Amino acid sequence: MFTKFFHSLRSKGLHVTLGEFLTLQDALSQNLCGSSLTQFYYVARMILVKSETDYDKFDMAFEECFKAAEHEGEITSQMMRWLDKSDLQELADEEARAQLNELEDLQVHMDKEEVEQKFKERLRDQDSEHNGGSFWIGSMGKTSFGNSGGNVGGLRVGGKTGHQSAFAVIGERKYRDFRDDRVLDNRQFQMAFRKLRQFSSRLDIPETELDINGTVDKTCNNGGCLQIVMQKPRKNAVKLLLLMDSGGTMIPYSSLLNDLFQAVHKSNHYKDVKSYYFHNCIYSKLYKTPECENGDWIDTDWMFRNLDSDYKVLIVGDAAMAPEELYSDTGNYRGPNGGLSGWEWLHLVKKHYKKIVWLNPKMAPGHAPWREAETAVKGLFPMYKLTADGLNQAMVKLMVNK
Amino acid sequence: MNEQIGKSGFAGSRDYVASEELMASVNVAIALKKPLLIKGEPGTGKTMLAEAVAASLGKKLIIWNIKSTTKAQEGLYVYDTIQRLYDGQFGEAGVDDIARYIKLGKLGEAFDSDEQVVLLIDEIDKADLEFPNDLLWELDQMEFYVHETKRTVKAKQRPIVIITSNAEKELPDAFLRRCIFHYIDFPDEALMEEIVRVHYPDVEDNLLKSAMEVFYNIRSLRDIRKKPSTSELIDWINALQLGGISAEKIKSALPFIGVVVKKDEDLETVRHAGGL
Repeated sequence: MFTKFFHSLRSKGLHVTLGEFLTLQDALSQNLCGSSLTQFYYVARMILVKSETDYDKFDMAFEECFKAAEHEGEITSQMMRWLDKSDLQELADEEARAQLNELEDLQVHMDKEEVEQKFKERLRDQDSEHNGGSFWIGSMGKTSFGNSGGNVGGLRVGGKTGHQSAFAVIGERKYRDFRDDRVLDNRQFQMAFRKLRQFSSRLDIPETELDINGTVDKTCNNGGCLQIVMQKPRKNAVKLLLLMDSGGTMIPYSSLLNDLFQAVHKSNHYKDVKSYYFHNCIYSKLYKTPECENGDWIDTDWMFRNLDSDYKVLIVGDAAMAPEELYSDTGNYRGPNGGLSGWEWLHLVKKHYKKIVWLNPKMAPGHAPWREAETAVKGLFPMYKLTADGLNQAMVKLMVNK
Repeated sequence: MNEQIGKSGFAGSRDYVASEELMASVNVAIALKKPLLIKGEPGTGKTMLAEAVAASLGKKLIIWNIKSTTKAQEGLYVYDTIQRLYDGQFGEAGVDDIARYIKLGKLGEAFDSDEQVVLLIDEIDKADLEFPNDLLWELDQMEFYVHETKRTVKAKQRPIVIITSNAEKELPDAFLRRCIFHYIDFPDEALMEEIVRVHYPDVEDNLLKSAMEVFYNIRSLRDIRKKPSTSELIDWINALQLGGISAEKIKSALPFIGVVVKKDEDLETVRHAGGL
């Protein structure tokens, strides 16, 4: 029953397992949904979806499969409300606006339908080449890929990147996951990360180690009757937040970034390591994976609220972007700007965290006024070149007290 | 609401206003015998839900508070070896009976109870990343094995398990797959009014209105680090009532604002924003 629903959910990128689906069948056979579609919606959602961020995908699949059941007027209005709640519309509006601005900037006048047509063609191509574009591309099509109307305006689709100020680069899944377990000689990086240590036994951890000296002392004082003393193990108190630029002009450096990422995760002596990704500049969303796919993100505000100012922040990026990407409050062509320009977001990051360094794989030596964005960012954060040596300096900078 | 589960199941309580979706989640979780995972902003009443469920079903509530140091094993049982060592030194009677030194944890207690209980595993995301995975078998099969005494503790009555999370950490997929999930939305103004009235039935209309207006305004400020939550609004309204503050003064003077806004930076932001 409802196998189509199951497949539709999976095609939308929801990882529903057979076990969960059987649970739903179980719920149905126990008549927990009654005969109401609304009730079925809730029951299915609570069983199949395990994160509020996935509610939207679920709504899409649900609508697709049960559209025919829409004759109940009440359901339709409710469905509209659920769909309204999703950020999708907001996002679409925002991107549509961004697109309009951009088109004006580029002075390209293109029929909207033509843009759509082009996009659809491209999507079809991509499908055959990459075995199924993901859901987001599908639904965001009209919007984010609408940008590809800028094709005539110097925007690169595919091909090699390296064109540093290209306003947008549509990647063809070139973003390699930095987690790929390649065996790398990243010992130098690991040695550098060793520097990031701050031992503390005042942490809130249980006393699990036997304090041998203490035990001998106490037992002797106790007239030979055993008295055991436990102590807290010494643990590194350093918490690290890694923010990495991904895609676009960073692609040539992906293997270097891979090294860095592996080194951080092999040095498992940190109290906590968090890593997020961004594209070119930090805006209101940070991505969870290097692919930087829409939807798979967290709010930058959420990060500020949940990762306190003690985190040591390591930003990795080439800071190579068009000035408008940094200064305009609609400069983010891939996602929402959150009403602030990238420059303002960077200031918020600086305000929130005490220790921040920026590692740049292709930093220009000395003063480089032609790289406007890089010079500006350099003024905001201490910037080091991403080499073993630069990393060492950066680590020292992160550890010293001001 | 389905009538079948509506009658016997959970339907909110006098002190706890639950949305229809939430009530349905509780009842489905009970019917399917799966743990119910509740997520939501701090202060949306996640923990209170378990109390309300226990109270309305007339069952005992066992709370397992999770801290960053909590290990899964502690919830099952602890073998007090050191006590046994001490006892052994002085030749106390019964040292050879290991069972004396096995102390059941909260989960063990819930399994061992003769009646069905409600077990609240509070703030599971506070613990170590592996913590939820360590409990998979126990929550699935509702039993665990005590190695020292070779005894299997099996749930006599399957407890109703409610788990809360503040979304500080991602929970493992294998764990999520076994749960019924519900996200508590932040209450809108109508529901909020209802909630406040449950706590203070005779709150003055004007006072409530201006306090809520200020409250939602503060929440909408962009720079607020820690958004005030329902419980903070309730405390604030209590303070305003006790202080005998008139409704007009709330907006202009922001009395007792420290009850709502807890961080220095946020106080600053609220003051700057002014004109709330």
